[in-house]
Amino acid sequence: MSQEENKSLFDHGQPTYAEVNEDILSVMLETGPKYWMLLGTMASIAGIFFFMPWFYQLIVGVGAAGMNRNAVWGSYLSNFIFWIGLSHSGTLLSAVLHITNSPWRKAIYRSAEAMTLFSLMTAALFVMVHLGRVWYVHWSFPIPNQMGLWPNFRSPLMFDVMAITTYLTASSIFIYMGSVPDFAAVRDASTGLRRRLYTIFSFGWRGTAREWHTLGWAYTFFAVLVIPLAVSVHSIVSWDFALSAVPGFHHTIFAPYFVCGAIYSGTAGIVTVMYCLRKFLGFERYIGQVHLDSLGKLLITLSLIWSYINVLELFSTWYGGTSFELEALSFRLTGFYAPAYWEMILFCAFVPMLMLTKKIRWSWNKMLVISILINIGMLTERFVIVATSQPRKFLPGAFGYYVPSWIEISITIGSFAIFATLFLIFIKWVPAISLYEVKETLKPLRRDA
Amino acid sequence: MVILGTFAFEEDFLAAARNLTASGFDNISLLSPLPLDEAQEVLGLGKSSPVRHFTLAGAIFGGIAGFAMAVATSLVFILPTGGRAIITIPPFLIITYEMTILFGVLFTLMGFHFVSGLPAWTDKPYLSSAGTDKFVVVVEGAAGAQVARAETIIRDAGAEEVRLEEDKQ
Amino acid sequence: MSTIAEKLRAYSKPGYYDEFDYHWTMTIDLDRCTGCEACVVACQAENNLPIVGEERFAQKREIKWIRIERYWEGEYPNIKMGFIPMLCQQCDDAPCETACPVYATYHNQDGLNTQIYNRCIGTRTCAVYCPYEVRYFNWFTYTWDEPLEQQLNPDVTVREKGVMEKCTFCIQRIRIAKDNAKDDDRRRVRDGEVVPACVQSCPTEALVFGDSNDPDAKVSKLMQDERGYKVLEELGTTPSIVYLTKVHS
Repeated sequence: MSQEENKSLFDHGQPTYAEVNEDILSVMLETGPKYWMLLGTMASIAGIFFFMPWFYQLIVGVGAAGMNRNAVWGSYLSNFIFWIGLSHSGTLLSAVLHITNSPWRKAIYRSAEAMTLFSLMTAALFVMVHLGRVWYVHWSFPIPNQMGLWPNFRSPLMFDVMAITTYLTASSIFIYMGSVPDFAAVRDASTGLRRRLYTIFSFGWRGTAREWHTLGWAYTFFAVLVIPLAVSVHSIVSWDFALSAVPGFHHTIFAPYFVCGAIYSGTAGIVTVMYCLRKFLGFERYIGQVHLDSLGKLLITLSLIWSYINVLELFSTWYGGTSFELEALSFRLTGFYAPAYWEMILFCAFVPMLMLTKKIRWSWNKMLVISILINIGMLTERFVIVATSQPRKFLPGAFGYYVPSWIEISITIGSFAIFATLFLIFIKWVPAISLYEVKETLKPLRRDA
Repeated sequence: MVILGTFAFEEDFLAAARNLTASGFDNISLLSPLPLDEAQEVLGLGKSSPVRHFTLAGAIFGGIAGFAMAVATSLVFILPTGGRAIITIPPFLIITYEMTILFGVLFTLMGFHFVSGLPAWTDKPYLSSAGTDKFVVVVEGAAGAQVARAETIIRDAGAEEVRLEEDKQ
Repeated sequence: MSTIAEKLRAYSKPGYYDEFDYHWTMTIDLDRCTGCEACVVACQAENNLPIVGEERFAQKREIKWIRIERYWEGEYPNIKMGFIPMLCQQCDDAPCETACPVYATYHNQDGLNTQIYNRCIGTRTCAVYCPYEVRYFNWFTYTWDEPLEQQLNPDVTVREKGVMEKCTFCIQRIRIAKDNAKDDDRRRVRDGEVVPACVQSCPTEALVFGDSNDPDAKVSKLMQDERGYKVLEELGTTPSIVYLTKVHS
C-alpha cells in the first residue's frame, strides 16, 4: 500500500500516533450528559415499544399479532431475517477485506463487527417473540434432559439454531480478540476501576512481537473460518423457506438471493452507522471520502446483483408457467401487497443507481438518505417474501392475506431502539475504531519520513 | 536486571534489536504499538504459527463431533419424519459443517491463549508509551557485564531513554 | 445399546416407511358429499376444538380440523358446485414432519402423522410447509363458557395457546379399538371397529375409514375405484386419503 494511497484515507491530514490514541479513546473516557440522555431515550423506547408489547403477547398469546391461518409466519420472522441480514456487514468488511488486505477497511471494521454482533442478538430476540411457547425454546437445543429427547436435526430450523449459535460465538470471539490490543491501550490511559477491568480484559497484553505474531495468525484463522460461516448462515436461514414446497419459497436461487441481500443491507447499514460515528463522535478525521466512496461502489455492485437475482426469479417463474407459481407471482406483483413490492423495487433497485454519480457518492448526507432507503426497501423485501407466498399456496379455498397488527409495528420500531442501545453501550466499552490498524495506515515513524 | 530502551523511530528500534540478537542476547522482547513484520523476523518468528495446529485439530474434532451428535441423537429415540431415512446425509452434513467451524474457532481461541502465554498471570516489564507511539526493547535476565553491553548497544542505536529495573521474578 | 442396534436393523429394512402395522386410510366420495358440514360439527364435538368466536373467525383464525371447501362455476341458476372435505391427509412423505425442530410431529407405526401437543413450541413451520393448509394454530388459550365445558371429551386433551393442532383420525378412538382388540385374544382391529367422528356423522356415507393393510376392508376396495385420485399428488406427499371424483353428467 503506497503512501500516497494511504494519505488519501485521511481527508484532514494524517494524525500522529499519540493523537490517534487521544482522539479515539476520548470517546470512551469522557462522557457528557448528552450521551446519557440519548442512552436513556433509546433504552426507554426499547422498553416501551419492544418489551412491553412482547410481555403482553406472552400473556395473551401470539394471536395479539396479526398472523392468521393464511399467513402463520409474519413480520416477526421477516424482521428476524432482516436483522440476520444486517449482521453480514461486519463479517464481509472485517473478514473478507482482511484477507484481501484492503486499507480502507481499517478504520471502520470494528464498528461493523459490533453491528454484526448486535444485529445477531436482536435477531435472536425476534425468534423468541415469534415462538408460540417460548418458555420451551430450550428444547430446540441439544441439551441432555430428563425426557431423553433430542431435537430433530433434519429440520431446517435446527440448521438455523446451529448456524446462529455458531455465528454468535464466532462473531463475539472475533471482535473480542481483535480488540485485545486496544483494551491494553484503554488500560494504559485510565485509572482506578476502569484500569483494573481493562487489565483483565486485555489479558495483560504488552504488544511484544511474539504476541502480535500470534494474534495476527489467530485473527487470520478466525477470518478464514468466519467467511464460509457467514455465507452458510444466511443460506441456512433462506432454507427455512426454500425447503418447503410452497410456490414463491421453493426456489433454488434463495440461498444466493438471501446472502446477496444480506451483504447489501448490511453494507447500507454500515454507511448509516459511519455517518452517525462521524457526526456524533467526531471521527471526521478517520472516516473520510475514500471510505464513503468505496462503500458506495460496493453498494452499487450489490444492488446490481440483487436486481439481477430478482429479475431471474420473475423470469424463471413466468417462463416455467406452472399454475401455482404464476398465481403466487401475480399475487406478489398485483395483489394486496403490490404497493410494498413496488416500493421495494424502487428503493433497492432504482434509488441506489443514483450513486453512480460521484457527486452523490461523495456526499455524506445524500448517502445517509440512500442507505436508509435501501434498508427500508430490504425490510419490505423480507416482509414481501414472507407475507405474499403463504396466502397463495395450492388450494384456492385457503387463499387470503394478513395485515400486521399494532404490536408487530411497535416491536419492529423497538428492535431498532434495542440495536441503538446496544451500540451506544458498545462505544463506551470498546474503542469504536481500531487503534493499531489505523496506525498501520499512517506513515511509519521513520527518521527520514 | 531488566533493561528497557525506548525508541522514537522504527529503524533505530529494529537496528537495536538486530544488534542485540547478534551479540547473543536471546531473552529480548520487542514492544510496539502496532504489528511490525520486521520485528517478528528479527526474532525468527517465521511465516507460520503453532496456532494452526489448534485450528486444524478443532475443525476435525468439530466435524466428527457434529456428525456423531446428529447420528447418535437420531438413533437414541427413533422418530421417523416425512418418509426420510433416519440417518440422512444432507441435513447432517450441514450440522457437521457448522460444528466444524464452531470448534475450529473455539480451538483457535484456545491456541491463541496457549501460544501467546496470555493472560499473563505475573507482572512483566512494560512501558505504557509502547502502547501509544514509542517502540521499546526489553532485555531480560542480563547480569553483570552484560548489562553494560546491552545498554551500550541500545544507546548506540539511538534510544531516547534507557531504564534499568530489577528482575521481578 | 442392543436395543439401538435392533432398532437400527429394523429401520434399515427396506419398506420400513411403507409398511405399517395398520395403515389407516380414508376414502371420500365427492359424489356423495352434500356439503352439509355434519362432519365439521362432529369433529368439533369429539376433539374438544375451541370455540374461536365470531370476531376471531372473521380474522381467519378459525380452527376446523376438517373443512368443506366449496368451488363453483357459473351463475345462478346454472351453478356447478363441488364440495371437497379437506382434512389432514396423513401423508406418508409429509413435508410438515421434517420441518419441526423438536419432533412435535412425526410418523408413527400406524401410518398416522401424529401431533404431540406437549412438545410443540409453536414455530409454526409445519403449517407453512403443509400444502393442504390443514394445520391450525392456537393463537390464544380458548375457553369454554359454562355449561359448554361439560361437553368436552375426556379422552382428548385441551390445548393451550402456542400449540399447533390438526386432524388425528380420532387417534383416541383408534387407541380404544386397539386396546379392546388386545384384550380380546390379541386379534387385529376389525374393519368397522374404528369410526372417526366425521365418518360416523356423515349422513350420505361419503367418508369411509379403515385399514388399507387389510385387503378385505371397505377402504381397500374403494381405493381401487377408477374414480380415485389424491389431492396434490404431484407434490410427492403420498397422502393417505383417496378422493373419488364426482360423476359429471
